[in-house]
Amino acid sequence: MSIIIKNISKKYGGETIFDDFNLVFEKNKITGILGPSGAGKTTLLNLCSGLEQPDRGTIEGINFQSSSYIFQEPRLLPWRTVRENLRFVFKEKAINKAGSHEDDIDAMLELVGLATVGDYYPQELSGGMRQRVSIARAFLYPSELLLMDEPFSSLDCSLKNRLIDDFLKIWEQDKRTVIFVSHHEDEIRRLAHVILTFSDKPVQILKKEILK
Amino acid sequence: MTLFWVLLWALAAWRVDSPLVLPSPLKTLEGVIILAGDFEFFVSIGVTLLRVFGGVFISVVLGLLLGLAGGLNKPFYEIMNPFVSAIKSLPVVSVIILINLWIASGLVPLVVTFLICFPVTWTNVVQGVRATDKKLLEMAKIYNVEQTRIIRDIYVPSVKPYAVSALMNAIGLGWKVTVTAEVLANALPSIGMNLYYAKIYLETDLLFSWTLVIVICSLAIEKITLHVIGNNRKGDGQCPLS
Repeated sequence: MSIIIKNISKKYGGETIFDDFNLVFEKNKITGILGPSGAGKTTLLNLCSGLEQPDRGTIEGINFQSSSYIFQEPRLLPWRTVRENLRFVFKEKAINKAGSHEDDIDAMLELVGLATVGDYYPQELSGGMRQRVSIARAFLYPSELLLMDEPFSSLDCSLKNRLIDDFLKIWEQDKRTVIFVSHHEDEIRRLAHVILTFSDKPVQILKKEILK
Repeated sequence: MTLFWVLLWALAAWRVDSPLVLPSPLKTLEGVIILAGDFEFFVSIGVTLLRVFGGVFISVVLGLLLGLAGGLNKPFYEIMNPFVSAIKSLPVVSVIILINLWIASGLVPLVVTFLICFPVTWTNVVQGVRATDKKLLEMAKIYNVEQTRIIRDIYVPSVKPYAVSALMNAIGLGWKVTVTAEVLANALPSIGMNLYYAKIYLETDLLFSWTLVIVICSLAIEKITLHVIGNNRKGDGQCPLS
C-alpha cells in the first residue's frame, strides 16, 4: 500500500510549514526529496515516523510502529557494542529466545562489511562504519517504511559512494518504501526512483521526476 | 608536594615548641602507633566506617531511584523538590541537634549523613536524567523500544557519570558529617568521641593522631571507590565521565 499524505497542515511558532499539503509515496520505491534548508523536509520525515503530529490532515498507509530511520548522525549507544546496538531494536522477549535474531545480525554485519567488528564500541569505529551500523539497524528492524535524513552528508566523497552502493545492495535484497531527504542532488540521483523538489515554506512540490 | 606541607608542619611545630599547641608530625605518627596497640581503636574506626557507609549507601540508593523518578516524572519532581531544597538549606548542626532529640545517639550520625548526602545524590541524578541525549531517546521511540530498556540502556548509562560524581561527593561529605554528628550526639564507640575526649583532656597530640586516622581512612576509601568504579567502567564500555 502506498503512503498517502492527505491535506496536512503544520505550523511552528506561527510559521506555516505545510498548508493543506498532499503527496503520495509509492510502495517499495525510493523517493528522494530535494529542497532548500529549513523547507520542511525533516518535518515531513518526523510526521511520517510519528515523532510529530500534523495540526490537521492525515497520513494513511503507515503503521507508525513500523518505520526505521537513518539519521544524519548514527545515533548509536556509545556504551554498547555494535552487536548490542543492533539487538537494541528487537523486542526483549524475542532476544531472550535462544539464538533468536543472532543469525540475522550476523548476516547483516556480513552484508555491511562489519563482520569483524561486532564486539567493538561505536567510538572505536570510523564515521563511515558507524553509519553502516545505523543502516544495518534500520534494515534489521522489521519496518515497512524507511526514512533517511541526509545519512551520507557527513562522509567524504569516496566513502559516500561506497555506502550508497552498500545501501542499494541491501535494499535490493529487502525492498522497502524509502523516503530519502538530502541537499545533494548527486546522492538523490544515484538512489531514488522518484525525485521531488520542494519549494520553501509553505511547502509545495515544484518538480516531480520519475527516474526508474 | 605532600612532603613540602609535612616539612612546613614540622617546621611550624619546631618553632612553636609546644606539643600542647602544635604536635610535630613525628609525635602525631607515634600517637597513631600507640592508639593502634589498643583493640578499641579498631572498634571505633569500624563503627564510624559502618555509619559512614550506611548513611552514604542509603543516600546513594534512594538518590538514584528517586532521582531517576524525579528526572523522568515532572509531578514527582515538583513534589520532591521543596523537600530536598529544605534539607539542603538546613544548617548541619541544627539537623544533628534536632535528630539527637528524636532518636538514639548511635543512629544520629547515620541519619544525619543520609540527610546531608541524599540531596547531593538526588540533584545529580535528576541533572543526569535531564542531560540524557534526546537524539538517542528519539531513536528509541522510532524503533518502539520498551520503556524498561530505555531506562536500562539509555538513562542509566547517561546518569552514571553524574551518579559517580555524587557518590564521591557523598563519601567526602559523609566522613565530615558522621564524625561531627558523633561528637555532638555523644555516639559511642566512635572516632568522633575519641576526638572529643582528646580535646577535653588537652591531649592535642592524640587529637592530631585521630585526625590523621580520619584523613588516611578517607583517602583510602576514595581510592578504593575510584578503583572499583574504574574497573566497572572498563566492563561497561567507554562511557565518558563528564
